Amino acid sequence: MVNGLPAVTALLPALLFAATGLTLLLVDTIRPDARSNTSMAVVGAIGSLAALAASVWLTASGAVNPDSGAVLLFADAIKVDTMALFFTAIFASVTALVLVAAHDYFHDHDNPAAFYSLVTFAATGMAILAVANSLAVVFVALEMVSLPSYVLVAYLKQNRGSVEAGLKYFLVGALSSAIFLFGISLVYAATGSLILSDIASASIEGLTGVLGVGIVMMIGGVAFKTASVPFHFWAPEAYEGAPAPVSAFLSSASKAAGFVVAFRVFTEAFPIEMAVAANIDWMLAFAILAAVTMTLGNFAAAVQEEVKRMLAYSSIGHAGYALIGVAALTVDGPANGTVMGAAMAHLLVYGFMNTGAFLFVAMAERWGVGRTFADYAGLWRRAPVASVAMAVFMFSLAGLPPFAGFFSKYFLFQAAIDNGFLWLAGLGAINSVVSLYYYSRVVKALFLDDPASPSALDAIDVRPTALYAAVVFAAVATVLLLPGFGPVIETAEAAASALF
Amino acid sequence: MTAVASTIPPSWYLLLASAVFCVGLFGVLTRRSALYFLMSVELMMNAANINFVAFALYYGDLTGQVFALFVIALAAAEVAIGIGIILVLYRNFGTTDVTVPAEMRW
Repeated sequence: MVNGLPAVTALLPALLFAATGLTLLLVDTIRPDARSNTSMAVVGAIGSLAALAASVWLTASGAVNPDSGAVLLFADAIKVDTMALFFTAIFASVTALVLVAAHDYFHDHDNPAAFYSLVTFAATGMAILAVANSLAVVFVALEMVSLPSYVLVAYLKQNRGSVEAGLKYFLVGALSSAIFLFGISLVYAATGSLILSDIASASIEGLTGVLGVGIVMMIGGVAFKTASVPFHFWAPEAYEGAPAPVSAFLSSASKAAGFVVAFRVFTEAFPIEMAVAANIDWMLAFAILAAVTMTLGNFAAAVQEEVKRMLAYSSIGHAGYALIGVAALTVDGPANGTVMGAAMAHLLVYGFMNTGAFLFVAMAERWGVGRTFADYAGLWRRAPVASVAMAVFMFSLAGLPPFAGFFSKYFLFQAAIDNGFLWLAGLGAINSVVSLYYYSRVVKALFLDDPASPSALDAIDVRPTALYAAVVFAAVATVLLLPGFGPVIETAEAAASALF
Repeated sequence: MTAVASTIPPSWYLLLASAVFCVGLFGVLTRRSALYFLMSVELMMNAANINFVAFALYYGDLTGQVFALFVIALAAAEVAIGIGIILVLYRNFGTTDVTVPAEMRW
């Protein structure tokens, strides 16, 4: 660390999240009658923005960067590097947007404080997950993310859809975390260590098979968190049934948290050379998962009738794109750092555009218009600003040229081609074309279609200011990432290259 | 390597843990009650604990044993959350059968 600050300063983002969550919980416990939805939301949003500022400051000040080396804490169990801070910035941005939007979504809920503190606790887990350098920390942090998430999905406890979604998310989540844990135990059995770099340097005497099974089981845990095949089937249910701000949180921040595990654990604990030499080709496994995930997600999204469910499948499709970041790696590949960096940049852009899209759905739920494409017909006439923002999200998710989503996908596919994975990039491009179909259906409904009846839009009689602000801010960020994409991709590539 | 660990080959621990894990997995896949599901997941997590403790002894380092304690605490937390969700499930659907709630299509 520079400036004579104690090394633990590098954990500032995670500490800020934890302090915010505890403050909210404390105030709610001591003064349950005096709590106000607005002040809770403001405190939560300020805490998240402070965490965002802290991670940007730590990156920009050079306190933690690839040249000066990462900050190692707690007997190497924690490693703060640029990649961790990059992901923390994604988590903090999404958390802030979700908390602001939740202010209007839960305006008549009797206990919003629990919601705000659960979201910040989950964000704390994500921030710790990003810096985890030991499989023990990875598992503890993963549970810190998962446990509040189960509750958040089932948060509307009188609503059968929400409870069912929470149950299914919990069942699949508990199963996959048990599988992930057993995978960790097998890796420990084969290598005798839980610290990532020690696992990489351990000599494996005749236990290669055990290590291989362990790695496959850990891939299962990652697939659950990122909503990829074969553990993707909870996602449409959970995203559809959950309150829309929670869907936004899970599909953007929680998914990125799964990817930080994939990026760091697999490249550091099981280096590519060792994996190929021991015949444990996890890159191939990820390549197959990426191909199946993006194809399944996009084609299933194309046949949906409900906007929220379409977004859920589209989120599975985007997990497939981001998986290219761990799939298109080769021994001494010239573009190993570039492809992983591009996947990180895609996750950042995705964090804004996908959160924005789900928050638009949250606004539609708040208005009480229906859930299908047809119910969105003609919304433009009553909500022009939000509809334009939604169009920006849709075109950016589809990867049309003038938007940030195009650049992140372009860099990702280009880097994959540079590393010799033309088939994966080609499949991604084909899938993007398919995705244009269902994304433009939303835009068509909003702008071109006529409402089913002249009175159909009368439901829109409230102006949820905070939700509006969150949606518009996400749209502005999606557009501003266009000129600002240079620094983002440079930071991401430098951070990813440090792993190889 | 300690005397006890050298008398029992590590492969036996792996076999025991895998057997317990498979019993748990079988329970997860066949039981319809959410409570049986929770018990089965506990079995799977404890199978991992057997590995951690056994190989901590085998390698003569404490990391695995300490992590097993963490896992026990996390498993308890997970059950607490799970029971809560099963409770609201029962209130809304009047059953703990996980196949009954089908408001949304799979």
